[in-house]
Amino acid sequence: MVNVYEQITNNKIRSGVIISLFVLFISTAVYLISYSLNLDSSLLIIAIIFSLASSFGSYFWGDKIVLSLNQARPASRKEFFNFYTVTENLSLANLIPTPKIYIIDSPSMNAFATGRDPNHAVVCATTGLLEKLNRSELETVVAHELSHVKNYDIRLMTIVSVLIGTLSILINMAYRSSLFRNSDDNDNNGGVLAVIGFVLIIFAPIIAQLIQLAISRRREYFADASAVKLTRQPQSLINALKKLSSDDKKLETASTATASLYITNPFKGNKIASMFSTHPPIEDRIKALEQML
Amino acid sequence: MIYILALILILALFVFSFYNKLKRLQVQIGASVQEIGNQLKRQANLIPNLVDSVKGYMKHEKGIFEDLTNARKSVDEAIASQDNKKIDKAQELISKGISSLKVIMESNPEIQTSGLINNLMDELRDTADKLMYARRTLIDLSADYNSSIVTIPGVWIASALGFKAEKGFETATNSDQIKVTDEEMKNPKVTL
Repeated sequence: MVNVYEQITNNKIRSGVIISLFVLFISTAVYLISYSLNLDSSLLIIAIIFSLASSFGSYFWGDKIVLSLNQARPASRKEFFNFYTVTENLSLANLIPTPKIYIIDSPSMNAFATGRDPNHAVVCATTGLLEKLNRSELETVVAHELSHVKNYDIRLMTIVSVLIGTLSILINMAYRSSLFRNSDDNDNNGGVLAVIGFVLIIFAPIIAQLIQLAISRRREYFADASAVKLTRQPQSLINALKKLSSDDKKLETASTATASLYITNPFKGNKIASMFSTHPPIEDRIKALEQML
Repeated sequence: MIYILALILILALFVFSFYNKLKRLQVQIGASVQEIGNQLKRQANLIPNLVDSVKGYMKHEKGIFEDLTNARKSVDEAIASQDNKKIDKAQELISKGISSLKVIMESNPEIQTSGLINNLMDELRDTADKLMYARRTLIDLSADYNSSIVTIPGVWIASALGFKAEKGFETATNSDQIKVTDEEMKNPKVTL
C-alpha cells in the first residue's frame, strides 16, 4: 500500500509522463504521415507547437476547460449553505486552502474535483446530489473529493481528461473529413486526412488502454478511505454511495474524456462507455467500507 | 572508506529530514491550537447576534398572532353572550389585528421566523462542526508527532534532539468518560 506522499510523487510523475507521451504521439503520427506522403516538414513543427500548447493549456487552464464543458457555475454560501460550509470545514481539517466551489444545474447525482494543485483546486457537485444527500452524507462525498485534491489526483485526471478530449476531437475531425473527401478522388489533402484518420482510429483503443493505466481504480478506494479517516463516518459514505448508485439519471454534460473525474461513473448502464470505465463498481467500494464499520 | 562516508551522509540526511518533519509538525500543532481559538471567537461573535435577531422577529410576529387570537376569543365570547355591544367590540379588535397583519405581510410577504430559525440551526450545526474539525486537526497532528518520536527509528534520536511529547487536545483520562455504568449499558428508551 502506498502512502499519501508516495501517491503525490506518483501523480506528479505520471502527469509529466502523460504530457510527454501526448506530445510524442502527435509528433510521431504527423511525422510518419508527412514522411510517407512526402509533405512539407513544417507540418511537423506545427504539430509539435500544437501538442505543446494543448499540454500547457491542460496544465494551466484544465480546471476552467472542464468547468465550462460541464456548464458549472460558482456556488454562493447563501444558496448552497451545506455544500459551501462543509467544503470550508473539511479543507480546514485537511490543512489545505478552501477550493473554489462550483455547482452544475442537473438532476443527476455526481461530484468531481479538478485543478492542478491544492492551491488551484475546484470542487463541483450537481444540484441533484446536493438535494438528495443530507449534511453528513455530503460531508463524506466532499471529503472524498478533497482527498483527490490533496493527493494531486486532480492534476493527473484533469490533464488526462483535457488531452484525451483533444485527441478524440482530432480523431473525429480527421475521420469525418476523410469520409467527406473520399468521393473526391484526386484531392491530395483528402488522402492525407484519410490516412491520419485511419491511423488514429487504430490507435484509439490503445489510447483508451492508456487512460486505464494512468487512472488506476485503486485511487477511488484510497479516496474513500481518506474520506472516512477525515469524517469518521463510514456509514454516511455507504449511504451516499447507495444513493448515488440508485440514481439513474445520466449527466448530460459528461463525456468519456471527463468521466474519470467524477465520484461515480456518469454514464448509467451504457455498455460502450463502461468499457472505458475508470471506476470500480460501487458495490465493491461499499464492501470495502463495510469492513471499516 | 567511501562506504563509511556514504553511510554517514545517509544517516545525516535522515536526521535532518526527521528534525524538519518534527519541527514542521510542532508549528502546525501550534497553528491548529490558534485555529481552535479562531473558531471559538467566530462562534462567540456570530451566535448571540443571530439569536438576538431571531428573537426580535419572533417577538414581532408573536405579538400579531397574540392579538389575533385574543380577537378571536372575544368574538367567541361575544357570540356566546349574544350581546350586540360585545360583538361590535370584538369586530373592532379583529379588524385592528388584521390591519397590522396586513402591514407585516406587505413588508415581508412571508412570515419569516421559521426560515430564520432554520438558518440559526444550520449555523449552529456548522459552528459545532468547525470547532470539531479544528480540534480533530490538533488531535491528528499531535498523534502524528507523538507516534514519530516513540516509534523506531525516531525514538533513538528524538530525545537527543530535544523533542518532547505534545499534549494535543487535553482530555481527562480518569473521569466518567472511560467508565460505563450499568445504567448506560441498557438500551435507551425514547419517549416523546
